[in-house]
Amino acid sequence: MSYDTVVVGAGLAGLTAALRLTERGQRVMIVARGVGATHLAPATIDVLGYLGDTRVGAPAGSLAALIAASPDHPYAHITADQLATAVTWFGAHAAALGYSGSVGENMLLPTALGVPKPSALAPRSMAGGDLRGGGRFLFVGFKGFKDFHPALIADNLVRAPLPLPITARALELEPPSSRLGDLSGRVIAGRFDADNLTDWLVGELENRVEPDERIGVPAVLGLRSGDQTWQELEKRLGCTVFEVSTLPPSVPGIRLFNALTAALRARGARLVLGVRAVGAHANNGHIDTIDVANATGTVSHAVGSVLLATGGFPSGGLELDSFGATRETVFDLPLIGVPETDRVRFAPNYFDPQPLASAGVPTDDLLRPVDANGHPVYTNLHAAGAILGGAIPWKEKSGTGISVASGYAAAEAILAPAAQSVSEAVR
Amino acid sequence: MQNTSMSSLEADVLVIGGGSTGAGVARDAALRGFSTILVERRDLADGTTGRFHGLLHSGGRYAVKDPSAARECIAENRILRVTAADCIEDTGGMFVSTPWDDPEYGDQFLEGCRATGVPAEEIPVAEALRREPRVNPGIRRAFLVPDASLDPWKLVWGCARSAEEHGARILPYHRVLDLEVDGERVVGAHIRNQRSGEEFRIHATVVINAAGAWAGQIAELAHCRVNVRAGMGLMIAMNHRLVQMCVNRCKRPADGDILLPLRTACVIGTTDVFVPDPDETEIRQADIDLLLDEGEKLVPGFRQARALHAWAGVRPLFEDTAAVAETRDVTRSHALLDHSSREGVAGFLTITGGKTTTFRLMAEAAVDAACQQLGGLRPCTTAEVALAGSESHVPYRIGNRLAAREPLPQAEEIICECELITRSMLEETIRERDTTSLDDIRRVLRLAMGPCQGGFCIYRATGILHQGGKVDQADANRGLLDFLEERWKGIHPILHGDQLRQARLDDWIFQGILDVEHLPA
Repeated sequence: MSYDTVVVGAGLAGLTAALRLTERGQRVMIVARGVGATHLAPATIDVLGYLGDTRVGAPAGSLAALIAASPDHPYAHITADQLATAVTWFGAHAAALGYSGSVGENMLLPTALGVPKPSALAPRSMAGGDLRGGGRFLFVGFKGFKDFHPALIADNLVRAPLPLPITARALELEPPSSRLGDLSGRVIAGRFDADNLTDWLVGELENRVEPDERIGVPAVLGLRSGDQTWQELEKRLGCTVFEVSTLPPSVPGIRLFNALTAALRARGARLVLGVRAVGAHANNGHIDTIDVANATGTVSHAVGSVLLATGGFPSGGLELDSFGATRETVFDLPLIGVPETDRVRFAPNYFDPQPLASAGVPTDDLLRPVDANGHPVYTNLHAAGAILGGAIPWKEKSGTGISVASGYAAAEAILAPAAQSVSEAVR
Repeated sequence: MQNTSMSSLEADVLVIGGGSTGAGVARDAALRGFSTILVERRDLADGTTGRFHGLLHSGGRYAVKDPSAARECIAENRILRVTAADCIEDTGGMFVSTPWDDPEYGDQFLEGCRATGVPAEEIPVAEALRREPRVNPGIRRAFLVPDASLDPWKLVWGCARSAEEHGARILPYHRVLDLEVDGERVVGAHIRNQRSGEEFRIHATVVINAAGAWAGQIAELAHCRVNVRAGMGLMIAMNHRLVQMCVNRCKRPADGDILLPLRTACVIGTTDVFVPDPDETEIRQADIDLLLDEGEKLVPGFRQARALHAWAGVRPLFEDTAAVAETRDVTRSHALLDHSSREGVAGFLTITGGKTTTFRLMAEAAVDAACQQLGGLRPCTTAEVALAGSESHVPYRIGNRLAAREPLPQAEEIICECELITRSMLEETIRERDTTSLDDIRRVLRLAMGPCQGGFCIYRATGILHQGGKVDQADANRGLLDFLEERWKGIHPILHGDQLRQARLDDWIFQGILDVEHLPA
């Protein structure tokens, strides 16, 4: 089979790129070992939350400072306009989640530990938790759900640095006895989909909510019907309700994955999970075919372009072996941010700067992986998401922002006449 | 020094040190009817005992070069299998001659075992590989011995609970600031409660110094000299049981020659380096590489297997006379020092050296000696009486927690999926141990000791501690952050491969999702 583009990796970067490419008429196949970090991370779009120790209020307005401090950062290859376009485009195309917010200003959404975390965009079921306006909050947990501790959230939030004061209290509800047990967020979400847990929740809360309180619940309001459940709760309780994301698996993240893959399938993209891209055949620096290994063997696919979106160490895009060697796992691409094998890779204190933290692939402005001289390794290979070097996304709170922006920008580069003509010429 | 306003406690026996030796001494003394207090500067089994590899020696390891240690080991091995059954998994042990080992050493080994009474049986290589399919297929000889896997925390807590049942007081997080010497006699100690800061005295007829590698520091407080040196040994825990038996190289004991199953993991050990300060145990990359390379010889593919955690413990190596150059040349038999005959200081004994396998014997020797100063010998019963938790004499089995859980899989929340710890187990431990330290809970329940190293359970445990009213949010936050720092010490030296994937997921959970860095104070 031949494809205009084969996307390697089914995380947020790969799905974003694939959606943009299919929208522009490309024939796309996504191959991945499994689902990506969507299932682990909240579905918020975090563009930039922290510059060093300083909380960022205006993410787009802070990118210049970020790039000045971290010249190799992925955002250095993406213009401010591209970033704004990408994020806006993304919000509109993941419409099922109803994103609100913008790259101009960060919301402050509570984490499951009660820390205000900066996010540029959030699904509307989460956006009501924006703490910037102050006010009164009620956090509600469910007995039997071990991944949400409302009292700790409330006690921490009232002590958090916020522009306006808030009050917060906690309530733990006991679900119907037949519903107790060892519950994961995903199981509870399934019960919101299938059963009448909404009625139960409204019944428990309607006489316990103060009129001006906003209600924070764990982000488990359903996988299929999460948005409807949230709307129904707001309507019936007559107050703002919001989901708070917690430990993986991330229910909002799974909703996002489902929404994006449904849109991709509707546009004829092919999504193949459980396979592994193992290499490519190239001529004159141009990839002609990519090899994909499945359970029975390896298949070569002719490609116009390849997008590498395999993620960093946690997703298997990068590997460190026991001898201290770090490698990119599909193409063995050159890396930046990797200490020499005989140097310290991990600082002895957990929160100190970690030498290997920003390891990843360096690229040019078309997001093509480059060698030490800055030349593209392959003219038609692009990279997006957590495989990109130069960022420490879990500290910067920039992970989903980098994925969306670089996924979109890589798709644009693949679609751009300049890049296209090079591939065409070699083809 | 005398401070009359300071409160004081009285006891027949004061035990200093809460490792296996100290806990064994406290239990032995309490069983003999002496009023007993044990003080430990940190948590029980937080020193050498909680940081050893977990091998209940058959004696095979010492059969050739330290026959008296071998005899002690096999005798104690037989006793503990009965009296401390719940702490022991009867894995069995195997000595193998790898291509790097002289197969003729096997003859010396068999002869040594015969001479010391350690049951050893040579089996065909094919049979050895059938039992341990991951072991190097190039092995040339294999011998079975009754080694077993020992849970050091269960052992120490079993001793402590037995001692308490017989009236002893066990005081973890109580540090000895000074010993009180009256003329030619130690009469007690000046103690600080490390948690509350409160200081008080304990007066005792006999003070038993069971501080292991720290015994020299304690002895100095009474102007006595105990020349105990710290021999640091490195261990690495692997994610799976790569072997089901305790596998030893059949050669003279050296570095990295033991690989044994310990609960759901397996542990390779060890190294042996003198360190000047038992509290300074820096893990060196060279030692990590040495263990990985030696592991590769025992189990090909070892370097690709998932390494979870590395840690170092310090053996107390007692030298009564001239300096010894090599730590492995110091006898592993214990030393009992009566400071009245050595330095003319009465009421003060030191028990050190030895090894966890022989802790009971050491305790017996120490309390026998104490009896002489307490009005006559009372018989020791620790060889017959079971430890708390081991009364049924049923050995631990790897599937016990799962078996208990399986009939009612949905009965309650599982807080730690790796180690199958339920909410009620956690809440009971918080209550019974009267602790709010995640690290203390870890040692009792093995919380956060599985593959994810606390990635999921630590948030849950923090929330439950806080919800139970045991800690306010500030202490809950601090406890969480302290735990992350503490666990990192064991993770970062060995971090590679699949465990790095896990560690990065944990970074995402704690920093990316929960944002622990910006918790309010």
